[in-house]
Amino acid sequence: MIALSNISKSFGRNQVLQDISLNVNRGEVVVILGPSGSGKTTLLRCVNYLEKPGSGQIAVGDFHVDCSRARRGDILQLRRKTAMVFQQYNLFRHKTALENVMEALLVVKKLPAAEARKRSIALLEKVGLGAKLNEYPSRLSGGQQQRVGIARALALEPEVILFDEPTSALDPELVGEVLEVIRAIAREGITMIVVTHEMGFARDVANRVVFMDGGVIVEEGTPDEVFQHPKEERTKQFLRRITPEANYSI
Amino acid sequence: MQLDPSFIWTAFWQLLGAIPTTLSITAVSVLAGFVIGAVTAMLRMYRAPVLAQIASAYVTFIRGTPMLTHLLIIYFGLPMIIDGLAEHFGWSFRSVSIPMIGFAYISFSITAGAYMSEVVRAGILAVDRGQVEAAQSVGMTTFQSLRRIVFPQALAAALPNLANSVIGMLHGSTLAFAVSVVDINAKAQIVASTNWKFFEAYLAAALIFWGLTVLIERVAALIEKRVGAYNRGGVA
Amino acid sequence: MGAPFDIGYVFSFLPKLLDTLGVTLLIVAGSLLTGIVAGFLVALPRMYKIPVLRTLSGVYLSFFRGTPILIQLFLFYYGLPEILKPVGLDLTRAPVMFFVILTYGLHTGAYAAEMIRASVEAVDRGQVEAAYAAGMTPYQAFSRIVLPQALGIAVPVFSNLVIALLKDTSLAFTLGVMEMTGKAQTLGTLTQHFIETYIALAFIYLIISFTLEKMLLAAERRLTRHENREEKRESIFRLKKRGSYRTVLADIHAGKGGGA
Repeated sequence: MIALSNISKSFGRNQVLQDISLNVNRGEVVVILGPSGSGKTTLLRCVNYLEKPGSGQIAVGDFHVDCSRARRGDILQLRRKTAMVFQQYNLFRHKTALENVMEALLVVKKLPAAEARKRSIALLEKVGLGAKLNEYPSRLSGGQQQRVGIARALALEPEVILFDEPTSALDPELVGEVLEVIRAIAREGITMIVVTHEMGFARDVANRVVFMDGGVIVEEGTPDEVFQHPKEERTKQFLRRITPEANYSI
Repeated sequence: MQLDPSFIWTAFWQLLGAIPTTLSITAVSVLAGFVIGAVTAMLRMYRAPVLAQIASAYVTFIRGTPMLTHLLIIYFGLPMIIDGLAEHFGWSFRSVSIPMIGFAYISFSITAGAYMSEVVRAGILAVDRGQVEAAQSVGMTTFQSLRRIVFPQALAAALPNLANSVIGMLHGSTLAFAVSVVDINAKAQIVASTNWKFFEAYLAAALIFWGLTVLIERVAALIEKRVGAYNRGGVA
Repeated sequence: MGAPFDIGYVFSFLPKLLDTLGVTLLIVAGSLLTGIVAGFLVALPRMYKIPVLRTLSGVYLSFFRGTPILIQLFLFYYGLPEILKPVGLDLTRAPVMFFVILTYGLHTGAYAAEMIRASVEAVDRGQVEAAYAAGMTPYQAFSRIVLPQALGIAVPVFSNLVIALLKDTSLAFTLGVMEMTGKAQTLGTLTQHFIETYIALAFIYLIISFTLEKMLLAAERRLTRHENREEKRESIFRLKKRGSYRTVLADIHAGKGGGA
C-alpha cells in the first residue's frame, strides 16, 4: 500500500537513487540497511517529499503522485498521510512535550483542543512519558525526546511512519528504551519503514529487510533470508563488516 | 527648483578636497581607539582591581550615550579642565591653541575605544580555551602563548567586527561639522548652500561615503581570506 | 568658555530636557515601526531568493548601511520633495517629522532586515522539516514554529538596534526638530552653561538606554524560556557574569561599530 516506482534522484552529478522500486504492505515493517552514501536515507525522505525525486511515482494508500509533475497540493497530501521520526528528534523546541504532540493535531487535523489534548496525553503515557507532559525538550534526555517524537508521529494516525535512523544520535544506554517503544508499535500492526544500523532490531522486528548500496536495492527478503542466507556478494561484505562477532571494539 | 544631474559631478569634485580630512579623522579615531579598546578589554578580562571597574564604567557610559554628546562634552569640558589645570600649574598652554580638529580626534578616539573594547573582547573569546592549554603544555610562557597563539586567531576572528567599527567611525566622522571641521559633510553643506543645490551636493557626498564603505568592506574581505585561511568553519 | 561651572545647573536642566524626551521617543517609536516593516519587505526577497527584488534589496541594504545617517537625513529632507515633484507629489509642506521618521525608518530597516534574515536562518532546519513532515503548510510552519523561535534569537540584536537608534536621534536637531540634544544646545546658548547641559543630557540618555536594555533582556528571558539557561562559555579569561558570548557578538553584529 506504499508503492515507490522507479524513483531516481541526483544531487548535482551524483546520482544517489537509481530507478528504485519498493512496495510496502499494510502492517509490514520494512527495514532498510546499507553503508553510508547508499541512498537509504534519501529514499526514505523521498516518501514524504523532504527530498524531491527527479522522477518516479509514489503511491501512499489510494493517493498517487507523479514526481515529475508533483504540485504543492500533492506534496501536502503526501505529508498528511505519512509521519516521520527524525534522527535528531527535531522536537519543536519552544513547545512542551504535550504541545509538541498536540501541534499537528490542532493545526493540520484541526481537532478541537480538548480532543487533541486527550489523545496526546494518552500517547505520551503510552510511550512512558506521562510524567513529562509539561517539560520543554531542552530538559529531556535524548531517549525521552525521541519517544516524544514517536508519540508525535503516532498522533497523526498516518498510513506509514518513516523512521530515519531513530537511535543513531542516542547515547548507547538510551537506545534500548526507544527500540522498545518502536517494537511495541510494530506489534500493533502499524506500517513502518525504518532506516537503521541496529541489526538486532532488524532481525527481531522486521517483516522484510532491504539492503541498499550505491543507489540501488541490492537484495531484499525476510530477515532470515538476508542475514543468514545472503545471495549477493555486496550483501555478504556488508554483513561481515558490521556483524558484532567480528568486532572487538564498541 | 530643477534637478541638475550634472551638478552632482561638479559637487563631487569640490568635495574631493575634504576627503583627506574625513579619512584622517577616521584613521586617528580607529587607531587610537584600538589601543584604548585593547587596554580596556585587558583590564576588564584580567579584573585589575580598581581599573577594571573604571574601564567598565567607561564602556557603559560611552555605549549608552550618543557620539555627538561625547563630542559636545569634550568640546566644552576639555578646555575648562585644561585651562583650570594650566592656571593651577602655571603652564603657558591654553585650550584656545587646540585646533578644532583636535577635539574631533580626542572625542572620537574615546568613543571608538569603548566599541573597540568589545571587539577585542569578542575576538579573544572566540579563541578556544584548548588552544591556550595546548600552548602551555608544550611549555610556552603566558606571554608567548598570547602573542603566538591567541592574538593571531583573535585577530582573524575579530576582523569582520573591526571592519564594522572602521566603517562606523567613518560614518561618525560626519559629526565633526559640529566643531567647525570641514569634512566631507561640512563641505557638502557649504557647496549646497552656496549653489542652492542641496540634493545634488548631498547625493555626491553620499556616493563618496558609499564608495569608501564598499572599499573598506572589500579590503576587509581580502584580508580575512588571507588571515583566516585556516578557519573554514564559517560560510566559506 | 561660557559661565563658570556650577553643578546645580545640571540638576535644574534635567526637567527641562525631559520635556523633549517625548519627541525623542516618538522618533524612536515611529522609526522602529517603519524600520521593521521595511526590514521585512527587504529581507523576504533575500530569504526566498526572489530574482529581481533580491538585487534591489541588496542595493538598498548597501546604501543605507554604507552612508552616514546624517547625510541620509539631509539627502531625504532636501532631495525627496524635488524627486517627487515630477511625479506630482508635493511634499514641500510636509512636516519635518515626516522626513525624520522616514529617514530613520529606512536606515533602521536596513539593519532590521539583516537581523530578521539572520535570526530566521538561525532556527534549526530540522524544526522546519518536522513541521513539514507533520503536514503543515509553509505558512503554518513559519508562523507557528520558526517565527517564535526566531524572535527569541533576535532580541539581543534588536536591543542594540533600538539603542543605536536612540543615539542616532540626537542628530535630528540638524533638521530643526526640537528633540533632547537640540534642547540641550538651546539651553546652553541661553544660559552659557554648556557643559552642565551636556552632562545632564548624557545622564538622561544613559538612563533611557539602560532601561531599554533591561526591558529587552526581560523580553528575551521570556521568549527563550524553553531553552536551558546557558552556562558561561568557557573562556581563556574569567569573565564577569554579564555578557555571554552570544550577547557580546550581538552587540557588535548589529553593525553599528561606533557613531552615527
